Amino acid sequence: MEVFKLLKELKSNLELEVHYLPKENGLSLIESTTIGHGNGVSAKGRDDQVEDLWSLTSFFGYSTQTFVLAVNLLDRFLAMMKVQSKHLACLSIGCLHIAVRVTEEECNVSSSHELIRISQSKFTVSDLSRMEKIISEKLNFQFKAVTALTFLHLYHAIALSHKSNRKDFLNLEKLEAQLKACLCRIVFSKAKPSVLALSLLMLEIEALQSADLLEIAHRIQAHLKISKADLAHWRGLVDQCMREYSSPECAKPDHKKLMWIVSRRTAQNLHSNYRCIPELPTIPEGAWDESESEDSSEDLSSGEESLSSSLGSDAEGLYFPSNFRSRACRP
Amino acid sequence: MSSAATTPPSVDKVDGFSRKSVRKAKQKRSQSSSQFRSQGKPIELTPLPLLKDVSAQEQPELFLKKLQQCCAVFDFMDTLSDLKMKEYKRSTLNELVDYVTVSRGYLTEQAYPEVVKMVSYNIFRTLPPSDSNEFDPEEDEPTLEASWPHLQLVYEFFIRFLESQEFQPSIAKKYIDQKFVLQLLELFDSEDPRERDYLKTVLHRIYGKFLGLRAFIRKQINNIFLRFVYETEHFNGVAELLEILGSIINGFALPLKAEHKQFLVKVLIPLHTVRSLSLFHAQLAYCIVQFLEKDPALTEPVIRGLLKFWPKTCSQKEVMYLGELEEILDVIEPTQFVKIQEPLFKQISRCVSSPHFQVAERALYYWNNEYIMSLIEENSNVILPIMFTSLYRISKEHWNPAIVALVYNVLKSFMEMNSTLFDELTSTYKSDRQREKKKEKEREELWKKLEDLELKRSLQSDGIIPT
Repeated sequence: MEVFKLLKELKSNLELEVHYLPKENGLSLIESTTIGHGNGVSAKGRDDQVEDLWSLTSFFGYSTQTFVLAVNLLDRFLAMMKVQSKHLACLSIGCLHIAVRVTEEECNVSSSHELIRISQSKFTVSDLSRMEKIISEKLNFQFKAVTALTFLHLYHAIALSHKSNRKDFLNLEKLEAQLKACLCRIVFSKAKPSVLALSLLMLEIEALQSADLLEIAHRIQAHLKISKADLAHWRGLVDQCMREYSSPECAKPDHKKLMWIVSRRTAQNLHSNYRCIPELPTIPEGAWDESESEDSSEDLSSGEESLSSSLGSDAEGLYFPSNFRSRACRP
Repeated sequence: MSSAATTPPSVDKVDGFSRKSVRKAKQKRSQSSSQFRSQGKPIELTPLPLLKDVSAQEQPELFLKKLQQCCAVFDFMDTLSDLKMKEYKRSTLNELVDYVTVSRGYLTEQAYPEVVKMVSYNIFRTLPPSDSNEFDPEEDEPTLEASWPHLQLVYEFFIRFLESQEFQPSIAKKYIDQKFVLQLLELFDSEDPRERDYLKTVLHRIYGKFLGLRAFIRKQINNIFLRFVYETEHFNGVAELLEILGSIINGFALPLKAEHKQFLVKVLIPLHTVRSLSLFHAQLAYCIVQFLEKDPALTEPVIRGLLKFWPKTCSQKEVMYLGELEEILDVIEPTQFVKIQEPLFKQISRCVSSPHFQVAERALYYWNNEYIMSLIEENSNVILPIMFTSLYRISKEHWNPAIVALVYNVLKSFMEMNSTLFDELTSTYKSDRQREKKKEKEREELWKKLEDLELKRSLQSDGIIPT
């Protein structure tokens, strides 16, 4: 009867999810905004920011839940308020900080100061706390969002509790990682979490080619009354996203954005070491070099090939141009 | 011979780590020389007329006479003796320098032996012993050559003579021979940096002009370096010799001779191991990079050599090695890079986790180098697993916040480069850590159980603790 409880939970979450959906026209407005000075937030701007959030989440060791929640808060806020692009960084860090406090254990919550330092942000701690207040007010302190992750966990639990599918193993972590990749694109914020999660599930089941799991998935779909058309639409988009995510081609990282701050000693070191250009001009080695003469009767180190004896060893004439006069003179 | 005695402050006896420079701060810049005045009468030189004052036919002979006069060597440690004669010699030398620079038709065959003789008399001498056994080239002031007022002019004169348009190596080679070169090389051990600088130029010109001496010079430099590395670890002229070698390496013909490759592997690489590396590291690194630009196939043995000799206890040296390695990577070919990337990044991974923040910082800064980044990107599936564990660990554990911030940069680059692999490694790392934590907990509980067992036993037997 475990399954029964889970299915009930599914149903209740389904009803709740609509409250935590970002407004669709808000999102569309962002998608149509062009990147430009003084314009609002664009789709690329939002996507880049979410990627940064993922880096920070990963770096500080926070859970996927924190990340998903932070993105949810961010999207909801962006969809309802007009935000200037210069405030986007502060906004997203604010959402992250709130999500961390809600989800993580208190001992693991990093300070605002640390967040700002690591993310190399330009705003101050007081800026951040003001922003967090604004976010909390606008979102009515509704932080316990129902997200695609919620549904993924439920689906996974249902699949696990089915006696019939002991042999096929659904990797929850892999699904979470794929969800994270999807959330980095604003288009998926328009999807209903239940549908998005189910799309991910089905794609993975297809890869596993498990008939049992497929049946379970269909049952979920029926239970939640998700339309075939909806599912097909989002599945297509998710599929495309997954292709890019797992392609062996490396995306060239945009490290122009990162600041490399080094200590003074190291900085001095970097400048002084760099390719000291010698003052002495190059002495070309000739093919007719060092043939035997009375001068080079000293035996050469091993490995030297035999020298020809017919060439003269003296070079008449100038080695250095006649106008060459430079030399280092120390007083 | 030094001009001031040192009395170490008493605090020295208590604190074993006081810097030598503090101890020796009282010592004034010292001078030294090994040209001593022979007992007996003072040197008398008859003043000769100026060269510009005699006719053109008489000049060559006058030139020879002046050269002979300048063979007289004066004692500069005795500051009061022969002042008039010293001044006379100085102005004569000055005159000779100018004469050699501007004149034409002055260089007769007879002049060559006289020039070489005059130069030999003045510069060839046994160098004075170092002031103290513990002369530390990095910290102490060098002892300068007292007779520099004359010596400088002699060097100046010799260089202009070698560079003169009329100079003919075919005549000169009778007098500038192996014995001359050998004595010249010994002078490179002079403590006076000005002298070494002139010697550097002199030897460079000689190497350029006398093809018959080249192999000999290279062989002798080899010997000096090998003795330096394996026997004495003392020689003051390593940097200057390396500078000359840099210009020679630059001119190597391709394909490289086996002799040169041997030199690289048997002499230049081991040269990295000496304690005083900082004094000549820039020149050494330059030579290495020049070699690699000539023949990229040498990259693998060079890097493997450096990794073999990687400093284990000297952080200052580690930072130098990292600098040199970056310069090598700047010119490396992608095919060569693939050959050594594994051992290389294993070492970098160790450097990055070093508790010495300068080492860690220098290693992390590689990720700011565009060319290195492009190489890493192409091979991220090999490099990322090697680097991942230490990077992730120090992001949580390093004491230095600046390092932690730099690690973020590096991790972020990796994340963007290859998200799938990164995610895989993260989850493996996390599960490994959880397993470790579980084991820790089990171990603790086991100990606790044993403790309780022990207590129970002791209580049962009426309070007597069993042994």
